[in-house]
Amino acid sequence: MAWIKPGINPPKIRAAISLATLLFALPLGWKGVSGIFIWLSPFIMLNSVIILKSYVFLNLAGVLVFLASFFRKRFFCNYLCCSGLCLDKISENSRFRASVHRKLPRTGAVLAVISITGAFAGIPLLILLDPQAILHGFFSVFPGKTGVAAIISLAGFPLILAVNYFLPHIWCGKICPLGGLQDIAAEAGSAISKIRKEKDEERNETVYRPARRYFIAAGAGLAGGAILSGISKTHFNEGWIRPPGSIDPSTFGTLCIRCGNCIKSCPTGILKQHEDFADIISWLTPEVEYTNGYCIEDCNSCSKVCPTGSITLFSKDAKNRIFMGLAKVSDDECLLSKNRECDRCKAACSYKAVEISRKGSAGQLLPEISRVRCVGCGACKVICPAYAIKILPVPAG
Amino acid sequence: MKRRDFITRAAIAGGAISFGLSCNRKIESAGPELTQGALTQTSAGGKFITEPARQLPVFAETDVLVIGGGPAGTAAAIAASRAGAETWLVERYNHLGGLWTGGLVLPLLSTHAADKNKRTRQVIFGIGGEMSDRLKKLGMSVHEINPVIDPEAGKYVLDQMITESGVKMLYHTWASNVLMEGNRIVGVVVENKSGRMAIMAKVVVDCTGDGDILNLAGEGSDMMKYHIGLVHRIGNVDRIKPGSDPSLRPLLGDETPLKGVNWVNMHGDNEQDGTDIMTLSNLQLRYRKEIWDNVQKIRSTPGYEEVFLLDTASQLGVRMSRILDGRYKLTLEDTMTFKSFKDVIGISGAWTTMLYMGKAVKPENRPYWQIPYRSLLPKKTDNLLVAGRCFCFERELVEDTRIIGTCLVTGHGAGAAAALAAKNNEAVQDIDTGKLKDLLISQGAWLG
Repeated sequence: MAWIKPGINPPKIRAAISLATLLFALPLGWKGVSGIFIWLSPFIMLNSVIILKSYVFLNLAGVLVFLASFFRKRFFCNYLCCSGLCLDKISENSRFRASVHRKLPRTGAVLAVISITGAFAGIPLLILLDPQAILHGFFSVFPGKTGVAAIISLAGFPLILAVNYFLPHIWCGKICPLGGLQDIAAEAGSAISKIRKEKDEERNETVYRPARRYFIAAGAGLAGGAILSGISKTHFNEGWIRPPGSIDPSTFGTLCIRCGNCIKSCPTGILKQHEDFADIISWLTPEVEYTNGYCIEDCNSCSKVCPTGSITLFSKDAKNRIFMGLAKVSDDECLLSKNRECDRCKAACSYKAVEISRKGSAGQLLPEISRVRCVGCGACKVICPAYAIKILPVPAG
Repeated sequence: MKRRDFITRAAIAGGAISFGLSCNRKIESAGPELTQGALTQTSAGGKFITEPARQLPVFAETDVLVIGGGPAGTAAAIAASRAGAETWLVERYNHLGGLWTGGLVLPLLSTHAADKNKRTRQVIFGIGGEMSDRLKKLGMSVHEINPVIDPEAGKYVLDQMITESGVKMLYHTWASNVLMEGNRIVGVVVENKSGRMAIMAKVVVDCTGDGDILNLAGEGSDMMKYHIGLVHRIGNVDRIKPGSDPSLRPLLGDETPLKGVNWVNMHGDNEQDGTDIMTLSNLQLRYRKEIWDNVQKIRSTPGYEEVFLLDTASQLGVRMSRILDGRYKLTLEDTMTFKSFKDVIGISGAWTTMLYMGKAVKPENRPYWQIPYRSLLPKKTDNLLVAGRCFCFERELVEDTRIIGTCLVTGHGAGAAAALAAKNNEAVQDIDTGKLKDLLISQGAWLG
């Protein structure tokens, strides 16, 4: 990389980037830029772009890092990886030796191939192993609610730190699929340069042959992805509300890296980690819970910060047709059924979905929710003085 | 090999480019939302006739003329008269208190709010507080927070206070026009049994609720169409036989200070124009029939035979109509942030939940809020003040500004200001707000 001046050494750049990563990972009320450094990970970028067959502008960051890793070995690890920095420091201060696991094979590249080919078949199998995802998951719990989900999310990063303490350098060297992906890129890069050299020398042979293990891994990934995506399509619970613009629930559960960016960026704090023992696939993915706040009209923060595209980017003025749920009024509890003064749900609705026009049993007027206009933002639910409104999830699609 | 290599790379590149071009991810707006058909009514018919010019008797010349004897107008007249100004009060019905009494909207809402330490405290003092205290002493008010009063007791107490304060009262009188001289209203044309007459005044206070006077004076306003109901009272609620059908209970409304008497609110039709006479007439007919039918249905239910319709309100519950386009528009943010104004004339409270910054704020957590003098001032007219539900605020605030408590506060402020302006022969926007605040405090108002 010519633009990196010889005077600045990679560790210093990595330290600076790590500091910035941590800063943006903290729940400091960053809205559009919460956890923005996740976008640098080419592993997440590839998985996301392949499974969704679509990209957004910020994916360019991942693409550039990916391209760079063709020409510089482990470009991301050496210059950008905050997790790697922490793991290295832990490993350096470890009292244990790397001798035990030195002879273990490097599985990172295989894991990367499995995950990416799995993405082609419908499930990015190992996307959760991305170090950026694990690191950001650690910080995602602070703005949210406490619970089992929060503990699990919190545990990921300390866990790999602990593993690295007892088995120094094992994560970066042997497991990390992001590192493995860069190794593949570097191999391919050197192969290309070899081809070029050979061409220059007008030789007619190429020496680049894909390793057999990649071939097997790719087959495993495709098969695993296809089988598991079939299973996951039938094994999810639709009984709860996801953020606006969420992709279909089965893909959401497997693509979402649980980084918590959406939870941190939500200005009204209505997102929390989902926990549901009946629905393992959706664990820790964002769930909308209206207690005080609702999903405000002119906000698309969660969709802007989602590095995987599980929450599809949408423009603010498209909010009136992004359906999260549907409001339902319980007539018995509604103040109007008791002839009390109220029209708060109607006043709160920005989408003109509430009309007080339905005749009740004794001729009193009751709120009527328009199925076409209601997006399930929850404004009527939180304003209702009688707690008479629920937001029901809408079936996918 | 060269060619094959080229083709391979071209195919990969082409594939990558076409994949790239086919991928885009963003949900865009479907374009501007379809607007509903405008529901503006054209004035009926197209015929006009010119009224011949005629001489009107000048019925009175006064310092302060208050049009409308609802909570705001009554408080304004008492405040002005107590401050030493000669004050006339014009009321179209036969009682004071407007919707609070004759309209049977009996709760005095927003008497309390949270202070800066998040403790609930009383905020309505001054003349409104005095009315509330007198009703309490008579035993004609229930509940400490947001008390519900007895309408006849209300009428009686307000009459008493008006008389004690020396306000000159004109019942059964409708204000029909203003007499303008440049930026001043020199008098108001009123009509009653004695005919059409003019009342000349130094300062006019518009407490009509609908902003009739500000409209006649050519001031701008925002016409808010809101739901209109008709309140009624039922009696013998205490003589419902125990064990009878409980599903009717919610329809019986809420208690009043009188034993066995409940008041029953009505939401009514949405987006009604409270200044359109055919709307008002038709709603009146329909609502009275609906109420009669509903009460008959209750009476025909076993155990409920003795319940009867005590009365329907003497006026429709027009919740909103015109909102003044004044010198300061009070905002929801002002009321949620303890915004303090140099020209504060009063403080009101909260009775319902509001959305603010994406969150719901329950009434017990809502801060008290100051009302600035400028929000009572029209933009052009030099001697007109506006109090009651038509003063200047943004629509988001309407639930707080249209209710009795706030009307009492703005009325008190406007009356005191009118007295000062009349005494010093000043334009209403030029009066010394420091002196106004001193006067209000001496009259018992709480300004924070």
